[in-house]
Amino acid sequence: MTFPLLSLIVFLPAAGAAVLMCLRNDDAVRWTALGFTVADLALAVAMLAAFDTTTHEMQFTERHPWVPAIGITYALGVDGISALFVFLTALLGWICVLASWVAIDRKVKEFMVALLSMQTLMLGVFSALDLFLFYVCWEAMLIPMYLIIGVWGGDGRVYAAFKFFLYTLAGSLLFLIGVIVLYFHGGRTFDILALSAQDLPFDVQAWLFFAFLIAFAVKVPMVPVHTWLPDAHVQAPTAGSIILAGVLLKMGAYGFLRFSLPMLPEASVYYSTLMLALSALAIVYGGLLALAQDDLKKLVAYSSISHMGFVTMGIFALNLRGLEGGILQMFNHGVTTGALFLFVGVIYERTHTRSIANYGGLMKVAPVYTGFLALFTLSSMALPGTNSFVGELLVLSGSFAANMAVGTAAVLGALLSAAYLLGMYRKVALGPASVGTRYQIRDVNGREIAAIVPLAVFVLWVGLYPKPFLNVIDASVKHLLTEVQGQESGQ
Amino acid sequence: MTAAVLFQWMLASLPEIIVITGACILLILGQLVRREQLLFWASVAVVLIAALATFLLAGEVRPAYSGMFVADRFAVFFKFVFYLATVLTFLLSRKYADIEGIGSSEYYVMLLFALSGMMIMASATDLLSIYVGLELMVLCTYVLTGFLRHERRSNEAALKYVILGAVSTGIFLYGVSLVYGLTGTTQLDAMAAAVSGDPLDPGLLLAVVFIVAGLVFKVGAVPFHMWVPDVYEGAPTTVTAFMSVGPKAAGFAVILRVFLNPLVAASDVWIIVAVIAVVTAALGSFVALVQDNFKRLLAYSSIAHAGFATFGVVAGGVDGVASVMLYLLIYAFMNLGIFGAVIMMRSGDFSGEVIEDYAGFAKAHPGLALLMLIYLFSLAGIPPTAGFFAKFYVLTALVERGFVFLAVVAVLLSAVAAYFYIRIVMVIYMREPERAFEPALTPFVRATLACTAAGTIGIGLFPEWFLRLAQHSAFGG
Repeated sequence: MTFPLLSLIVFLPAAGAAVLMCLRNDDAVRWTALGFTVADLALAVAMLAAFDTTTHEMQFTERHPWVPAIGITYALGVDGISALFVFLTALLGWICVLASWVAIDRKVKEFMVALLSMQTLMLGVFSALDLFLFYVCWEAMLIPMYLIIGVWGGDGRVYAAFKFFLYTLAGSLLFLIGVIVLYFHGGRTFDILALSAQDLPFDVQAWLFFAFLIAFAVKVPMVPVHTWLPDAHVQAPTAGSIILAGVLLKMGAYGFLRFSLPMLPEASVYYSTLMLALSALAIVYGGLLALAQDDLKKLVAYSSISHMGFVTMGIFALNLRGLEGGILQMFNHGVTTGALFLFVGVIYERTHTRSIANYGGLMKVAPVYTGFLALFTLSSMALPGTNSFVGELLVLSGSFAANMAVGTAAVLGALLSAAYLLGMYRKVALGPASVGTRYQIRDVNGREIAAIVPLAVFVLWVGLYPKPFLNVIDASVKHLLTEVQGQESGQ
Repeated sequence: MTAAVLFQWMLASLPEIIVITGACILLILGQLVRREQLLFWASVAVVLIAALATFLLAGEVRPAYSGMFVADRFAVFFKFVFYLATVLTFLLSRKYADIEGIGSSEYYVMLLFALSGMMIMASATDLLSIYVGLELMVLCTYVLTGFLRHERRSNEAALKYVILGAVSTGIFLYGVSLVYGLTGTTQLDAMAAAVSGDPLDPGLLLAVVFIVAGLVFKVGAVPFHMWVPDVYEGAPTTVTAFMSVGPKAAGFAVILRVFLNPLVAASDVWIIVAVIAVVTAALGSFVALVQDNFKRLLAYSSIAHAGFATFGVVAGGVDGVASVMLYLLIYAFMNLGIFGAVIMMRSGDFSGEVIEDYAGFAKAHPGLALLMLIYLFSLAGIPPTAGFFAKFYVLTALVERGFVFLAVVAVLLSAVAAYFYIRIVMVIYMREPERAFEPALTPFVRATLACTAAGTIGIGLFPEWFLRLAQHSAFGG
């Protein structure tokens, strides 16, 4: 029996949560949570180091019977795509702990337990090779996230938590029916790889495609089922926003990559134009909404809708550049938007306002803060040299190859993002130092820098030398593409 | 009839005999000894002895009393659900009965008689023995509902329950007499033979509809659900907990036996069951949305769950039957758990029956709040709790039989139902406390909560053994 590295990565945070339950002192809770998440990151790095980038096969696989009576197994494994997201989740995990260090001052233990259980479930989603296991993790996430938003969130937290819960639940339940239908059509198995190898009739694929689409579109979120996102983001505590933007939104896109494309290739090709159009709509509409926001968190939230539009557009361009760009952009969005939410949290802790109108001239009082903010703002608008540039360029070239019209719309969205991000930066950081007179503002402290620097490193690393990241996903993306196109030519 | 045959018959019904004899002895004992502690332990012992007997006899199928009764795996499965419900109700009752002043020996005796009625229902293979079990059970629950003699609410509930129950029994008996008139038999197997022959006789169809109506009343499904909220609200909470699990499971045991044996051929009837399932789940889910009283809310939630379990009946087949059985077992754990939490809130002059009473509960008692969270999310069907697996298996059975549309409906209704469960979670976790809580936490209540939580989480994470048991116990499996 091989070393169960993936199980260890997945369940280490849960074990941490169990340990936390026994602690009483708040500081001990914080340090223990940090310890477990850092250890988890170390394991994830070890996994990446041992990862074989030359093959698309699932690696570090583990299989144990779970409910053999109906063919459910406990199966884990990662290919290039999931490995990247396992790493991203582990990376953001400890940053979330740091971001909540002082922001969460009541029920610290419960919060950290929720945070760590959340991490276990997210890692479970990205490494599950069994549909049932995937669904259990996917759905169970609602419980800790509901509590994180609803207990530790802002003033409108209860409404936001409800909305988040019901939207995602309603979406996922149809997905559940889809999973069961797939189970019977695919020879009574929940094995994701076996199901990907099946060739389903087109009408079944079409139905399943829409059942899955609803669940994934809510999670991404795509317009028009995006309305839970701004509410959830604005009300969630900083760590909650980082998780939502950094990891949760990726799950919808991951669902497309892991289920829709390989299991329903013909339907994916057939409906790709629709998906491209929806993505273009999300890019432009999200951008326009972001342009109109005065609330910092809302601005970042709407920009997420726009940026996730690039991701889905890249995926459904169904060519190599589009797919690689889309996946890389998922990673980039996790890093950049996670960082932006962290920044909003940092400044909110000091001023207790998120209204852009209340800021101005922050550069004079908090130079380090605004310096880093500049980097992430530029990254978010995809300036060359930053991570998003690479991803967005790939997506754009992929989508132009797929469909000229949506490619043009995407360029328009990129312009919009420059407009609202630069506008935001100007209003917050530049100009006369009005903010310094109104609030006592300290620059970032060591703990905050510790959380920010790793993200900044990834912004520049991916921006200047994306090869290692593309290498990780390359073989898996090529394989995915042959699965889609192989099926297509076979009809 | 020889002595050997009689012995075999008695052996088959030994658990029932134990419970009934035990109940009779306790009834007498209760007049002689005034020590409640003793009566309580004696009643628990009776159930445990019966459980042991059931377990020892579970090896083979034992028909008895000339085709009126059978002790098979199906019955054994249900009997264990009943034992579970009864023992946990005993444990929950100990302190609650003191507070309410209802802890007389009759209380335990009534529960034991109700238990024996349910056991007979699970084993009955003849419409008449079904009737005997049914009446034995409901007569006891009528009395138990009215046990809070000094409360108008309780009296009213009991009266309502008696009148409506009597009507439904009448309807049921009318159906039985029609069946007997048309086929000359009341045995389920013989009925099956009569039904599966020609296209269904319209008279027989009418009889079936009457029988359905009688049974549907007992599980609280639409359109015979009206009594449920009032009775659940008025009855002592421990009795409500018992009624929502035990008699409901017994009702489903009979429904499964009647429908999936003799009437499986009568596919015309099928549509009725499907409609009942949809309407019941819809009504339960939607009306629960506007309830403020916790017990009423749980009453509607139990209607919704009855509807969901009926989807399993619609699916039929081994998986359909097994899914209903597993659903009821899991429901017993999670529902007794949540009722345990409500019962625990009853202390001093505080009733804890309104949802608002739980505001900020998590602040005062994080551990208990976490337990309630688990039960509520399980009732809502969110993984990794057992409630999710219960729903999942019912849906699987539905899709397997090609009822994809029904599965979609079931799933959407359960999203509606999730709303009111998470609303309670919201009140518990996201509101500021308005009062100090002093839950009546006895070791017995703790034990109940621990047991139900273990079931709710344990079956959710490791459903294999329970699933196999249900499949193995379903007839045809």
